[in-house]
Amino acid sequence: MSGPIEAALLLSAPLLLAACGELVLERAGSLQVGLEGTMLLGAFAAFAVGLRTASPEAALLAGAAAGLGSGLLFAVFAVALRADPILVGTAWTLLGAGGSAFGYRLLAGATGGSTQLLPLPAVAFGLPLAGLGAFVLPVVLFAFFRFTRAGLVLSACGERPEAVRALGLSVVAIRSTASAFAGAVGGAAGALLVLNVTRTFVEGVTAGRGFLALAVVVFARWKPLSLVPAALLVGGASALQYQLQAAGRSPLPYAFFLALPPLLALAAVALSSSRGGAPAALGKPAP
Amino acid sequence: MSGARRGSRLAIPAVAGLGALAAATAAIALLALAAGAEPGAALLDLLRGSVLTRGALGETLARATPLLFCALGAVVALRAGFLNVGLEGQFLAGAAAAAAVGPVAGLPPLAAAFAATIAAAAAGALWVLPASWLAERRRVPEVLSTILLNLLAGSLVTWLVRGPLRDPSGDYPQTTPLPDAVLLSPLVSGWRVTVALPAALVLVATLTLLLYRTRAGLVLRAAGESPRALRAAGWPDAAVRVAAAAASGALAGLAGGLEVLGSTGRLYDPFSGGIGYLGIAAALLGATNPLGAATASLALAALGAGAGALQRNSGVPASLAQVVPAVAVLVLLSLLAFGRRAERPA
Repeated sequence: MSGPIEAALLLSAPLLLAACGELVLERAGSLQVGLEGTMLLGAFAAFAVGLRTASPEAALLAGAAAGLGSGLLFAVFAVALRADPILVGTAWTLLGAGGSAFGYRLLAGATGGSTQLLPLPAVAFGLPLAGLGAFVLPVVLFAFFRFTRAGLVLSACGERPEAVRALGLSVVAIRSTASAFAGAVGGAAGALLVLNVTRTFVEGVTAGRGFLALAVVVFARWKPLSLVPAALLVGGASALQYQLQAAGRSPLPYAFFLALPPLLALAAVALSSSRGGAPAALGKPAP
Repeated sequence: MSGARRGSRLAIPAVAGLGALAAATAAIALLALAAGAEPGAALLDLLRGSVLTRGALGETLARATPLLFCALGAVVALRAGFLNVGLEGQFLAGAAAAAAVGPVAGLPPLAAAFAATIAAAAAGALWVLPASWLAERRRVPEVLSTILLNLLAGSLVTWLVRGPLRDPSGDYPQTTPLPDAVLLSPLVSGWRVTVALPAALVLVATLTLLLYRTRAGLVLRAAGESPRALRAAGWPDAAVRVAAAAASGALAGLAGGLEVLGSTGRLYDPFSGGIGYLGIAAALLGATNPLGAATASLALAALGAGAGALQRNSGVPASLAQVVPAVAVLVLLSLLAFGRRAERPA
């Protein structure tokens, strides 16, 4: 990380990517509050493959694949079997933290030696292609919801699932697809984090970014394009911490910079939540 | 109401509970296999490390105590319809308060321990209140705000152990140990079990009576099950939810404070490895009632203690004790939801 702007962009990218997936899932009417767990699973998969193959591209794919699996499994419990998605998500936080720590312990015992990952090569603004992709994805999603029938149907699953069912379409299938997508990009976000930000895996490496991504979606009031400024605000706040840590001297304690992103996120959702925008059937089981 | 219908009401939770137990056992076996250990031997290791020896039993009970307080906190909140995912942060706030108040000069040891305990409960309750306010006044889902408050509590602990409360004589970022006189003494020599455990058990009985045998308990459960009916009956449902959230936070805060006073003697960073989330799992596995939550807390504490032994003896990572409860919760919730749908006339 070089300049402050590059650092802010790089730290916002995983947040934005994960938030894009969560937005799609929530617009479809389900939600994954255990996104932190998904990101950890993706981060670990990327770490494991990155160490073995020395190919950051393969690592990124592995992260996305692990997230995809996580999203599909989440859909089995929270969409198809209709268990309360929030409680399932709470268990997912444990599952992702425990599962990734379990794998890491086994792997660390097996390899030893360097655990430094090769980063994805930067192409512009200090961002790798996947990082740029994170900033393009909201535009794609905007077009998807605005101009395509599929986007309309997906939104309908979150607003009036009975109407979708009356059309003869399966709400379960659509929400499951959304969950798979959310999982894949959430996993890729975890991968991007370990590949280009932390450069290695440690237990709990995501440090709450999955939770912050949930707040970004609420702050953006479920609008794809608004995700960008929302993620930049929260990501920029985390970048401050890295910058001042690197500078070595700061008049404020290190913990203040740890507290800044969740504080900002809390203030942001407090200001935006009462203005509405949540899908009407958010969290309601499929008919 | 037919007998068969009433029978199925009991049968579904029973089947779901057995299913969760089976899933947990299968998860243990699979994780052991993944780590290159023999599943049968791993199960035996788990038992040995949790209940079969005197030391192991003490470890299980020591781990069960804070978990039980957290699980009771989850029960109170869930029953009132407040999804408190912030037990982790409230636990940390309580631990921080106990570490800060415990060493206050001038107080006799017993008074200092008492003050630290009260401060821990108060800090836990205070840590949940922003979420209550945001939920009732700004329509922010408490799931989101309590999670964010967890992150904030983590940074509070980071600040305290590196800043104002740092032990100047040590190399690590941790607080100065509390004086021995302030710490709760072990009830049984060699065990980290203090008066906190019997206190937790008394709480289980009290909460059971309170929830199911008093008007206050009825009102609390109504706030969760049918807030509209409660409001129609003239009760302020929002006030009930806020009170339940504060009680829930106080219980988690107590868990943190008693952990400092009875077990660790100091605060360090990170102080919790997800006990708040585990407490929610224990509450759910215990059918969201105090006695069930107590049973599940004991079982999860045994799993945690056993997993420590398993890691030492067979190299199976101890985070098994996080994965297995998660799997059990997922299977339980799914089976219960499936049962509810199957029971409902189509």
